[in-house]
Amino acid sequence: PACIENKSLSYGAEFRRFSVDRVKPGKFEEFSRLIMHIHRIANMELMIGYADVHGDLLPINNDDNFCKAVSMAHPLLRIFIQRQEEVDYTSFGTNTLTRRKKAVVTMRNDVNRKRPHIRIGMPQDFRPVSSIIDVDILPESHRRVRLYRHGSDKPLGFYIRDGTSVRVTPHGLEKVPGIFISRMVPGGLAEGTGLLAVNDEVLEVNGIEVSGKSLDQVTDMMIANSHNLIVTVKPVNQRNNVVRSSRISGSSGQSSDSGGSTGYPSLSVGGGGGALSAGAGGVALESDEEADIVIESSVKRPSRRSNASVASAASTASPAPPSPPSRPPSVVSTASFHSQLSLNGSTNHQHHHHHLSYQLHRDLNLQNGPQTSNPALRHSNGSLHKILSSLRTDPRHSLALPRGGVEEDGTVITL
Amino acid sequence: MKRFRRHGQESQRDRLKQDLYQFNKTVEHGFPHQPSALGYSPSLQLLAIGTRSGAIKLYGAPGVEFMGLHDENAVVTRVHFLPFQLELVTLLDDNSLHMWTLRAHKGVSELLEIGRFTLTGPPGAPPSVTRVTSVLAHSSGELLLLGTEGGHVFVVEVPGFRELEERNISLDQVANSVPEDYIGRRNLEHVETLQENPVDPNQVVIGYGRGLMVVWDLEKHQAVQHIPATQQLESTWWTEDGGHILSSHSDGSYCRWTVGGQSSKDEEEKSDIPYGHFPCKAISKIVQLPTEEGPPFLLFSGGMPRASYGDRHCISVIHGKTHVALDFTSRIIDYFVIRDGPLHTGDPGALVVLVEEELVVIDLQTEGWPVIQTPYLVPLHSSAITCSHHVSAIPLKLWERLLAAGQLQITHYSPKPWPITGGQNLGQDPPQRDLLLTGHEDGTVRFWDASGVCLYPMYKLSTAGVFHTDADPNDNMNQCSEGEWPPFRKVGCFDPYSDDPRLGVQKIHLCKYSGYLTVAGTAGQILVLELNDEAAEQTVEAKIVDLLQGQEGFRWKGHTRLDVREEPVLFPPGFQPFALVQCQPPAVVTALTLHSEWKMVAFGTSHGFGLYDYQQKNSVLVKCTLNPSDQLAMEGPLSRVKSIKKSLRQSFRRIRRSRVSLRKHHVTNAAKLQEANARLEAELAEMELAPVQRKIEARSSEDSFTGLVRTLYFADTFLSDSSHNSASLWAGTNGGSVFAYMIRMPSVEHRADEPITAHPAKEIQLMHRAPVVAIVVLDGHGSPLPEPLEVAHDLARSPDMQASHQLLVVSEEQFKIFTLPKVSAKMKLKLTALDGSRVRRVGVAWFGSSRTADAGESGLVVLTNQGDLNVVSLPSVKMQVQHPCIRREDVSGIASCVFTKHGQGFYLISPSEFERFSLSARNVVEPRSLVEVPANATAASKRRAAPDGASADNGNARRDDADTGNKTKFNRHAPPNHRSTFNSLNVTLSCIKRTCHPTAAPSMLVFMSRRIISIVKCRDLISSAMYTHTHTHTHTHTHTHTHTHTHTHTHTHTHTHTHTHTHTHTHTHTHTHTLPSPPLTIYLPARVLSVALCVY
Repeated sequence: PACIENKSLSYGAEFRRFSVDRVKPGKFEEFSRLIMHIHRIANMELMIGYADVHGDLLPINNDDNFCKAVSMAHPLLRIFIQRQEEVDYTSFGTNTLTRRKKAVVTMRNDVNRKRPHIRIGMPQDFRPVSSIIDVDILPESHRRVRLYRHGSDKPLGFYIRDGTSVRVTPHGLEKVPGIFISRMVPGGLAEGTGLLAVNDEVLEVNGIEVSGKSLDQVTDMMIANSHNLIVTVKPVNQRNNVVRSSRISGSSGQSSDSGGSTGYPSLSVGGGGGALSAGAGGVALESDEEADIVIESSVKRPSRRSNASVASAASTASPAPPSPPSRPPSVVSTASFHSQLSLNGSTNHQHHHHHLSYQLHRDLNLQNGPQTSNPALRHSNGSLHKILSSLRTDPRHSLALPRGGVEEDGTVITL
Repeated sequence: MKRFRRHGQESQRDRLKQDLYQFNKTVEHGFPHQPSALGYSPSLQLLAIGTRSGAIKLYGAPGVEFMGLHDENAVVTRVHFLPFQLELVTLLDDNSLHMWTLRAHKGVSELLEIGRFTLTGPPGAPPSVTRVTSVLAHSSGELLLLGTEGGHVFVVEVPGFRELEERNISLDQVANSVPEDYIGRRNLEHVETLQENPVDPNQVVIGYGRGLMVVWDLEKHQAVQHIPATQQLESTWWTEDGGHILSSHSDGSYCRWTVGGQSSKDEEEKSDIPYGHFPCKAISKIVQLPTEEGPPFLLFSGGMPRASYGDRHCISVIHGKTHVALDFTSRIIDYFVIRDGPLHTGDPGALVVLVEEELVVIDLQTEGWPVIQTPYLVPLHSSAITCSHHVSAIPLKLWERLLAAGQLQITHYSPKPWPITGGQNLGQDPPQRDLLLTGHEDGTVRFWDASGVCLYPMYKLSTAGVFHTDADPNDNMNQCSEGEWPPFRKVGCFDPYSDDPRLGVQKIHLCKYSGYLTVAGTAGQILVLELNDEAAEQTVEAKIVDLLQGQEGFRWKGHTRLDVREEPVLFPPGFQPFALVQCQPPAVVTALTLHSEWKMVAFGTSHGFGLYDYQQKNSVLVKCTLNPSDQLAMEGPLSRVKSIKKSLRQSFRRIRRSRVSLRKHHVTNAAKLQEANARLEAELAEMELAPVQRKIEARSSEDSFTGLVRTLYFADTFLSDSSHNSASLWAGTNGGSVFAYMIRMPSVEHRADEPITAHPAKEIQLMHRAPVVAIVVLDGHGSPLPEPLEVAHDLARSPDMQASHQLLVVSEEQFKIFTLPKVSAKMKLKLTALDGSRVRRVGVAWFGSSRTADAGESGLVVLTNQGDLNVVSLPSVKMQVQHPCIRREDVSGIASCVFTKHGQGFYLISPSEFERFSLSARNVVEPRSLVEVPANATAASKRRAAPDGASADNGNARRDDADTGNKTKFNRHAPPNHRSTFNSLNVTLSCIKRTCHPTAAPSMLVFMSRRIISIVKCRDLISSAMYTHTHTHTHTHTHTHTHTHTHTHTHTHTHTHTHTHTHTHTHTHTHTHTLPSPPLTIYLPARVLSVALCVY
């Protein structure tokens, strides 16, 4: 029974040693709970990393890399614990720790210039850009693509046009007007997904059939749904279709022939169509909670004591006239406080931030009510993270927090 | 108020919906677009107008109106009432004839098409043989004489349209008897005119294009007399005594010929070119009417000296020594004279002239021949309509004051009552007084009585007097210099050419309780006016408000602001301006609201909005909403507009001038028109084929015109906490932002001297960033807050201030309810994301139940860009009903729509006509009237025929006997005192008369004979026929075209660049095809022009 002793470092000052079963390290969840317990940290999102044999700082955030980390231990495993929002992801990866050692003697700038290393993002920072959905209920010749635009500066980046498509009807082949993708903007979201192509026929937008609608109507529908756009297309190139298991014996070429350019069963046929649109509707609803940004200036009534209001008004009164209304100043200030990695201890300045972040955390946890068990905590923290990251990239995007609201004196951000 | 929001009561809710909502297009107000034919029935005293789009409209006494639409989308070229009957015949330019009748159904007359007919020539004959060029509805009421391009006259029995081949007058029959020495005998050309001898119905004069006139006896079937005029013939007129025929010719001459007696002596008695010496234009129609004592009236249209006055549209009236050339504002379509006396055979009383843009009635009996004001058919577009505003339930006091002010403006009108008095208006008096205010391009605001079926002009306000304009003072319409020849007199009010487009009125808001009015215009001017019963001389000081607030990098390239007159200006009684705000930059005002209780006006442009205290004449708040990256707004959208507009206007003037009155042959004109239409159609089709693509991109703050202020709203509500309500101003922008300001007002006693302050309170950025088109605050009961002063006047219940208020923000895409005072989203209804339509117009309306007197509920009335009308319930924001109303291509119609507070609405179906519709089951304004053949009509025909020929007398008498016989017979079966039955019997009588003919056309025979058999059956038929009529609305291509233009207008401010493509297309189109095309396409109203601009 070989026990590994672990040395833990936190906040640049605190060290703990503890042991973990090398053969059966267990789950990452348990491990992180253990660490939090040992360090007496609660209600906080942590980033756990370790130093591998090459001296690289690598993250521990799932069962796999936890196992890997434990197996790397010889005999000690150095574990670094950081506050989630202080993590500087550039510090992960090849040579990070060794470089850091050298950094004492070399100028940081020089290091950076030497080799722009590849950043490895954290899994929770990966956000979906697009997905193919409802494969099981759609005809093979169709593809339902969901474009996630939230948090991205990228334009959706495509154009649609009128056109005619050929359909099989009881009266034979019939030409009907249709909507087609006419152009992709290079570097746009649509192009980046590789799921849409020029001349694909658009059949549905967010579960609603476009047949019978004008180009302008479809344009308006797509723009209205742009934050969560689900388009069902009939790709012009039928080669890359998802082949369902039942048809797996047939070649994809064959499927393109059968479902090819001449026609396909109408989407709304039978119960399948109903289920399909209901499913799409559900999706639309769930991700639909685009929250509007509300800034409430605390204009107190003159009759009331206004000790607080003077101060708060100074910091929160509506933005200076010329600025566009999209970026509420208070939100901006919240967003700006992800700070540098603090291996070398914290400064007063950072303490200040800690205080704020604690507060925000506390507030969020309050909303979660009494359930402060780990999964719940994780969940809430994850969402916070999402918020912060989204705020960073796109201040417009939502403060999509559960209803209930958070109030601070002075500035009120209704969340 | 009742609200039904419980679940599981769907059926009950559905039933309630039926009681609340009902969609009807009820009546068309204004002047028909592109009239093309005029008819009049002296016996019914009804006027009929046919239009280029195939509509036929009948007007009698005010409130008596009928409208019909031909299935064919063809020009109505002729309208003729059958004498002394309820029928009328129309001729379309596709050469089809249509029979219409006014049939009483449940005591109300309806206009129905009951038959159609096209002349068929002998096999192998060219189409010109049967191409109808003139129509005579014979006084017997049984015959229709049709002269054709081939020179034949076909005789058709009506109303069944049975060709009486044996009675046709072929060209050969006539040509054979033409005197050898007549120059033009080889080719008499088409039949230009057909006229009946007023004293002998058996004689008609056939006028051929070449000049020859033949008096033909219908009974003997032979020519009685030949009148060898040698000039191209334009029209003929048989004088009252039957002794003379007047003919008018293309060289501007007219001749008088003696008829009858010595058939050898057919020399012209008198020939004259009234405006002679130099070549003159044709006299297109001549009329001579006797007076009891004194000389006769001679009226003729045209005949002007070609070189100097060829572009005038004149009717000359000569009576004794008085000679006036009435100079009209647009092309003369047709005219007739209404005569006095019970049988309409007395002195000429009024001249009714239909010109292309208006109907003018001239009193011929009052000294100076003044114009009689029309109670309907008023040209709404005398200057192009730029906006409209409806105010429901006007207090009597304000109404009377307005009427009084309006009375003073119409002193130059004739005191005589309206001479067209046919029919009986059965409509109930309107339940309330409603005002429709229209803003016009020339800076006027017109007040219309919109309570009932007639849209009657009440008062006209001009805002131009406040400013220096470059209007030419010599351009006065009523200018008349002494001794001028011809003796012109301008008549009519149509004047679409505004000399300073900056005067155009863009927004209007009237407070009906206080009589305060605010009017905002194109150059950022906002006037506040007060109703004053006395004239007053005062200076209006301008307050300049800088909306940019120091925004850097802005360059306004648009028009300058208007110059304000610094000296005192005399304002007549009525609305008088006392405060003026001028926005800097002087961009068009896009939102405006007035709060009369707080005495404040809020206004917005594409750069920001402001709040103005009109009591202290002080600016309270200015907020710049401009996005610095918005280049279009930065440049000023109207920069390049003006010059284009100017050049367009000039070219239109030129075209108008060059468009000499070519009312020659309808045939050629119509052919040209069709050709132009076809060309236009082909081009449109081509345009549609070209691939148009649309960019799919989420809206961003960088889009154009995000800062444009779309809506402003005053509310007394809870802004900061739920215990204190306060005054607030709300503004919504094109970029989906809502700004709320709390207004702090001094106490009442210090209102005049302590400053008002406004503080930013809230700012909402809608995530979907669609333009905010309306903001409404709902009280504790969920009802919209009442209008200012409404509660003070006891006309509304005071709002519930106990329960919490809610905020409704309507964007183009969604309806969203937020809580107050803390703004958080509560409910929403998505529109665009689900069906791709967008909100264009929205209003709050009260829907009363048609079943229960005091039941009802408030709702939002919504018009989408698809032309659909929706009702959305409040406060639950649920879709209640949806009705397609306007074609989606009719963008100008959609943009012009205005809602009333009681579920009705108006939209422009042409530059000159409002369609009125109703979504409410309770509030419906529609014409209900009854027209009957007057009792003395048959007697009249008898008496009229009496002095002459015994044979005619006999014929009439025989018919009358038959009639009376039938009548008595039927009346015995009819239950007494049952009006509706009686009426239908009356109608049936005429049917019997018609169908008696054994060989009537089979299809009609079936129809007719059914009528005789069963009245009920016949009604069924009628109602089904009517159904098809009312539901087939077709429009000409001109329409489509116009709308495309206006499209650009309405979208200007709201569009993201996704639509740029359309714009470009439209534009190209304008240049390539519109300007050089012939009349049909050329005629674009000034308004449309003003618009095309914003495209750039």
